[in-house]
Amino acid sequence: MSADILSFIIFLPAIVAFILMITTKDANTVRNIAFVTTIIIFGLVLKLYLSFDPEAGIQFVTNNVWIEQYGINYYIGVDGFSLTILMLIALLISPAYLLLWEGRTKGYWINMLLVQTGITGALLSLDMVLFYFFWETMLLPIFLIMGMFGTGNKIFSTIKVTVYTIAGSLLMLIAIMYLGTAYYAEFGTWSFAIDSFTQISTLSYDAKLWLFLAFATAFAIKIPLFPFHTWITDTYTNAPTGAVFILSAIMAKLGVYAIVRFLIPIFPEIYSDFSIFFVCIGIFGLIYFGIAALMQNDIKRMFAYASASHLSFITAGVFSLNAYGMSGALYLIIAHAIATGGLFLLIGILHRETGFKTISNLGGIAKQAPIFTVIFAIFLFSNVGLPGTSGFTSELLIIFGLYEFHPVLGYISGLTVLIAASFMLWMFQRAILQDRETDNGKDLPMRDLKIKEILGLIPWVVLIFVMGLYPDYFIDKFEPSVLHYISDILPSGATK
Amino acid sequence: MNSILLILPMISVLIGALVLMFMSMYDTFKIRHFITVSVIALVIAVIFSMGNFGDLYSESLFPVILGDRIVFDSYANLFSILLLVGTIFIILVGESYANKKTYLKGEFYSIMLFSLFGMLLLAHANELITAYIAFEIASFSVYIMVGFNSEDGRRVEAMFKYLVLGSFIGVFFLLGTALIYGATGTTNLTEIAEFMQKSQENIALLYIGLTMILFTFLFKIAAFPFQSWVLDVYRGSPVLITAYMASVFKIAIFALFLRLYIQEFSMIHELWEPIFETLTLLTLLIGTWMALNQTVIKSMLAASSIVHTGYLILAFLALGEGGAGSYAIIFYLIAYLLSAIGAFGLVSHIIAQTKVKITYDDFKGLAHERPYLAAMMTIFLLSLAGIPSTIGFMGKFYVFTEAISAGYTLLATLAILATMISIYYYFKLIAMMYFYSSDKEIPLQTFDDKRISTYAIGALGLLTIWGGIGSIVVFFVPIPSIDEILVVTQTAIASLFI
Repeated sequence: MSADILSFIIFLPAIVAFILMITTKDANTVRNIAFVTTIIIFGLVLKLYLSFDPEAGIQFVTNNVWIEQYGINYYIGVDGFSLTILMLIALLISPAYLLLWEGRTKGYWINMLLVQTGITGALLSLDMVLFYFFWETMLLPIFLIMGMFGTGNKIFSTIKVTVYTIAGSLLMLIAIMYLGTAYYAEFGTWSFAIDSFTQISTLSYDAKLWLFLAFATAFAIKIPLFPFHTWITDTYTNAPTGAVFILSAIMAKLGVYAIVRFLIPIFPEIYSDFSIFFVCIGIFGLIYFGIAALMQNDIKRMFAYASASHLSFITAGVFSLNAYGMSGALYLIIAHAIATGGLFLLIGILHRETGFKTISNLGGIAKQAPIFTVIFAIFLFSNVGLPGTSGFTSELLIIFGLYEFHPVLGYISGLTVLIAASFMLWMFQRAILQDRETDNGKDLPMRDLKIKEILGLIPWVVLIFVMGLYPDYFIDKFEPSVLHYISDILPSGATK
Repeated sequence: MNSILLILPMISVLIGALVLMFMSMYDTFKIRHFITVSVIALVIAVIFSMGNFGDLYSESLFPVILGDRIVFDSYANLFSILLLVGTIFIILVGESYANKKTYLKGEFYSIMLFSLFGMLLLAHANELITAYIAFEIASFSVYIMVGFNSEDGRRVEAMFKYLVLGSFIGVFFLLGTALIYGATGTTNLTEIAEFMQKSQENIALLYIGLTMILFTFLFKIAAFPFQSWVLDVYRGSPVLITAYMASVFKIAIFALFLRLYIQEFSMIHELWEPIFETLTLLTLLIGTWMALNQTVIKSMLAASSIVHTGYLILAFLALGEGGAGSYAIIFYLIAYLLSAIGAFGLVSHIIAQTKVKITYDDFKGLAHERPYLAAMMTIFLLSLAGIPSTIGFMGKFYVFTEAISAGYTLLATLAILATMISIYYYFKLIAMMYFYSSDKEIPLQTFDDKRISTYAIGALGLLTIWGGIGSIVVFFVPIPSIDEILVVTQTAIASLFI
């Protein structure tokens, strides 16, 4: 039964959602039950986290036949990487429920539950078709949330992001099917499991490169990497806070996770041969999105670019071919998810209360809502990478990793972290601290955080400091997986 | 095996058709009586067919009278069940439509059962002349049914276009048969296959004959370059018949041509491969282009059926020796059957209750007014678009995997591009239903939701989801496996070679 704990974690939200769909109509009941569900899941994940053995590779495996003819299995399991992200998802979602004020209808919460099933399923799948199944399915609830509860030109941006991501996913589907048939041609049986794909030896270098690019496009759209980022500004501006929160804090990270989980083991040579290319795209994205963020007046847009900038940095770390870069990337995934997730939620509240989300219209928040400002500042500092916060440790690790990859790139990335600091702090100063410049400095109708909201945010704040001051405890859980990747999977000589 | 059992499904459909015909002479019978009788006849036929379902057999019944013309094998059995179940669903889903539209009288169901009889015969035919007769029985009944829509002025155009073009293309079938007879001295499919293996004489004549027959096939499944009738005919006919043509009739046509193709494979494949490659490409292209430009939902579904035809031709290409890849075709046909009947049926349900044309705009706000219908429509659209967790995804997955496996990676990539574009026109409708509020005067409040058709739509929706989730055996969801369909298909294909 202990092996099925993962299935339980995956499917519990969906089952609850279906039951709620047909039983009750009251939005508050739905919301409360959804919240309890996420708490139960958090408890289960915590149990899993504590009983996980870092040295033992993939654990809690369930492998059942799904479609026998094509060797597609319901194959799930967890290792250091996915466990860390699983923990992160569980930790992020339940407090977020306390801060999402926009969910006034039943449909919103049901979709939030369904999206949780989608992301956890994609995270834990070890069979590529199963992964694709969840990867596509998790998009539909987001599609509905964005279209129904968004603002502004919501329908255009909803359709745009949907078509964009599905197009990427379909490219990945071709690659998956191609790998499956290649495996069939070589071994005479069908299989779509990742461990099977790593054994394929008949593919030519060119074919591998094309397949790699197909996968990489799908993941790059989700992350988003330059030049596949054009959907983010519309989406982050018009989507409701819940969708933005899920997209930026969780789904984008799944893109990075998928690179580590699938691309590196299946195409190790391509990964190491083209790493310089991706590191450069990453660092270019870091600078490009950073500069774009500096120019924004709309806070949501600014954080959309800020988020893209950090994710480019994470990607650079993943491709740095050494344990520093990769551990740092994984660590920054967590740190950034907490900080950005929190910031988007707080901005959601700010926008809802004041009616403004442009920097020039805001101001004077600090004196009206001190607790809000303090928590906002903590998230911001973690995002900037202030020493003592989780952001610092992870950014430092990535910069080390990049330095080891190539000293010049290390210097560049070290310097560009300043850009993030400048646009974030500048925004903070103008929108929160300073008095308003428009409307003759009249105060905005801003309330401070409620007890419920503070309770939701405290775990994150604590975690930011704990992760910044005692990183070892967390890194120990996933470091063996990272080292396994570096030493066993990459071709010898590729690591620098 | 009790041999009389084999022919009973066809007999019961025929008897049902005759009974309905006599019933339609009396005014005392209401439309619900006709529906009841036809469904009972079809259910009896299904029960008789289920008797041999899954067994491996191939028999010619009454060889003295029928010769080898009609063959009863597992293959025909599988297709009969598909055709019968499809028709049952169409009749049930269209229940509210038939009750509201005065022009659908009792004889409509009689004609429908006659056409179904023709299709069943087509699935059993192992000889070209018999196939032609079966084909015309089915076609002529459909021509008549296309003309039933007396509320729409386009019906005359639709009916005549279909009648004239269909008869014209039917002549090609006859000409092809004559040429094949001239070349081989037989019209029996098995004997033609034997002839081709033995000798190479008259090969040009044989090829021309086969290609003539191919034209008929392409016309009926609406592949390029014979696709232009689809929009007018589908638009002008009653929605039920549109659904019938797009799903059930297509399956019947595929039943015959799959049999032909698999049996004469080694010869035909070489000849038809480049033709099919071009056709896949052009059919996908034209279908996508047509689907993008529609504003009426019925036309959009009709045009998108051309795209689905393109996927099916791709699957045909990937068949391989001995029909190894036919699983993909049959599964895709099942997937399309469920989702297309569902989508068309839902449109008919809405048309029955309102007076609108059913354009994209008419669907605005449906999710707020009728959440159940909107959810079901979403399921069918997702399935048509091939999104995971619906049967449509599985169908596409098999087709594309078989295509890549057979070496058509580039064509499969193009097909996936067509799928990407199809996301746009299917998701646009979902967006209309969920993201807009209703801005029109449709009296949706008077909607009668406690009808047979709503339950039938629900059943189709459940089947669509079940087919997509299949048998993920999580500890709390024991579901029968969709692998069963595969086993049945393999048996069916094996029975062709007995």
